[in-house]
Amino acid sequence: MNLHFSAEDIAFRAQARDWLHDHVPRERRPHAGPAARAYDLAWQALQHDAGWAGISWPKEYGGLGLSLTRQLIWHEEYARADAPDHHLCFVALNHAGPTIMANGTEAQKQYHLPRILKGEVIWCQGFSEPNAGSDLGSLRTRARVDGDHLVVSGSKIWTSHGHLSDWQELLVRTDASAAKHKGISWVICDMKSPGLTLRPIEIMTSPNQTHFVQCFYDDVRIPLTDVVGDLNDGWNVAMSTLAFERGTAQIRDQIRYAYLVEDMIAKAAERLGNDCPLSRDEIGARLADLRADMAAARAMTYMVVSRADAGMRGSEASLMRAMVGETQQRARRLALDILGPYALENSEEDDWVYFYLRSFSITIAAGTAQIQRNIIGERVLGLPR
Amino acid sequence: MNLLPTAEQREIVDSLRSFLSARAPVSRLRPPAPQTGNSDHRLFRDLGDLGIWGCGLPEAVGGVGLSATEESLIYRELGRHLLSPAIFALTLGAHLLSQLKGKLLSSFIDGSARVGIANPRGRVSLAARSDGDVHLFDCAEAEWVLISDENGAGLFCRDDFAEIQPVPSMDNLVTLHRARLVDARPSFWAAAPDLHERALLLLSAFAVGIAEATRDMAVEYAKTREQFGRPIGSFQAIKHICADMAIRCEAAVCQTAFASLVLAEGHDGLAFHTTSSKLVAAASAIKNASQNIQVHGAIGFTAEADPHLFLKRAHVIEQLWGDSRRCRERILSLDLPE
Repeated sequence: MNLHFSAEDIAFRAQARDWLHDHVPRERRPHAGPAARAYDLAWQALQHDAGWAGISWPKEYGGLGLSLTRQLIWHEEYARADAPDHHLCFVALNHAGPTIMANGTEAQKQYHLPRILKGEVIWCQGFSEPNAGSDLGSLRTRARVDGDHLVVSGSKIWTSHGHLSDWQELLVRTDASAAKHKGISWVICDMKSPGLTLRPIEIMTSPNQTHFVQCFYDDVRIPLTDVVGDLNDGWNVAMSTLAFERGTAQIRDQIRYAYLVEDMIAKAAERLGNDCPLSRDEIGARLADLRADMAAARAMTYMVVSRADAGMRGSEASLMRAMVGETQQRARRLALDILGPYALENSEEDDWVYFYLRSFSITIAAGTAQIQRNIIGERVLGLPR
Repeated sequence: MNLLPTAEQREIVDSLRSFLSARAPVSRLRPPAPQTGNSDHRLFRDLGDLGIWGCGLPEAVGGVGLSATEESLIYRELGRHLLSPAIFALTLGAHLLSQLKGKLLSSFIDGSARVGIANPRGRVSLAARSDGDVHLFDCAEAEWVLISDENGAGLFCRDDFAEIQPVPSMDNLVTLHRARLVDARPSFWAAAPDLHERALLLLSAFAVGIAEATRDMAVEYAKTREQFGRPIGSFQAIKHICADMAIRCEAAVCQTAFASLVLAEGHDGLAFHTTSSKLVAAASAIKNASQNIQVHGAIGFTAEADPHLFLKRAHVIEQLWGDSRRCRERILSLDLPE
């Protein structure tokens, strides 16, 4: 065990810190809409032009191919510089891109990967369906082969930013007679395809906030050349890159949340005033627990990276994800109690209320807290199904 | 950066674990063994021969020359096996005596010193002259008593304490006395805050051991106990309790490892990280020990099964040298390290 970083790593840290300090956009990121798209793409393009894009992408695909330790350092500096998150670029950089690298044809790689890195395109996900959420394997959107095309019909839901996207990673059932997890294919869907319509879904944060769309496919034609991996092997294709980041990017959130707790401590002290020292108040006790839990969350991320570095490929990262998600929710909830009556004002300038409401998605997205506990129970602890 | 134990560290853990499972299985504590107090001091010399008490001291003074990281790994195993809390006095006493070049040092390193520990009940001022009310743990036959606070650590003679009164102990396998320090002079005293941070770290590691042992007991029981024709661990109601226990263990293990490295390598934020460890690990130990009783059902409520032993010891650990309330107050007073 050690917390050492090599001299080269320390030099890399200084380099990253300097560049981020000088280039992180200072204007506030719009929460939604075309302005958010433009903001995210511009930031990605800026990183690309300076040679910082794709830190976890292999060099052969235009990335930097950094070691896990260097990725961790980059993300730590990224959070310290308060750089904007990937947001709309997330699916492309961490999911669609890596999936195409691992399973795509040469033509697919040549076309899509540079566009992603350069910040030219937004990707979205088409996995969940109205009747296939936690039980993703039961998805029913059908695609039949017609000549050199697939013809897709059905519906996808909870597609974040679908209305702002160029491409979609889409899971469709191409063999209805096969077993549940067989007979699925992973395809690239052009969001401008005829027959594809979108229904915006507003989320609970505030009125007129479209975050998701529901997608309806009415005989949407997709060239067979846009199937990634083998036809009917889509489940394996989708699962092969789920852990692409291997936990390094999580450190960003944790550092940000640690700073949030510091802001909360300052605000709470201000609100309670001198009459009631923080250490004697129930809010102080909760802040103290949060500070300790945030420290533990960071140590857990170091452990996830240590395991990945050692080539250990288990489900233990679920332990960190579960703990981190629930600690973040607790922080957002406590922020509200610190605001007191002002918690009822959902203002643009002060985003604690917005992010409190937003935090409800943390334990739902990318596998609910309950599904994660099934995974921990069965795959980490070996309990029977 | 790497939080995984090295091959050498794993070897230390494995050899200690095989010693403890042969010589100190938790079953040693069950009836017909006496149900008040414990006889763990008989093991201390053999553990001394393994280098346990001088693990973190330089070889020049008779130690093994390892660090707080190895000490933490050792205390995790000692916690799993519910060793008497007197062990804290041996390791910390050895560090104190090493700093002071005290001549008793070798008896702490070899485990022959008869020691126990004291914990404040209320305000205790600990210094060259000390006052206040304390509890004594496993001090019935002790010659020396160790106490630690934010300013340092001190070793007293048992005879330095006044009004020693036995009281029934919630953790009945630990002897408990009320006692009082009245203008008492510790035989050895060092105003060295590092000693207290090490104390918090070792307590955290012991608590990690309790959290892990109870997780493992609950999981094992959930795999074998059947109701409604199925192992109870197949029901999500039970499976998710076990998953929560595993999450708590991971948090406590990782934060304790991190804090041990901050101490071993001399990074900033030592007090912040040891206090975080104590808070997270003590809470994990108590919660896991409680949930273990629930998973076991009625048998878990009896003295015929082991779950209650872990719960009671977890509460002792939580109280020692700064309970959670005190840790919260402390952590709010510290700066967030980088």
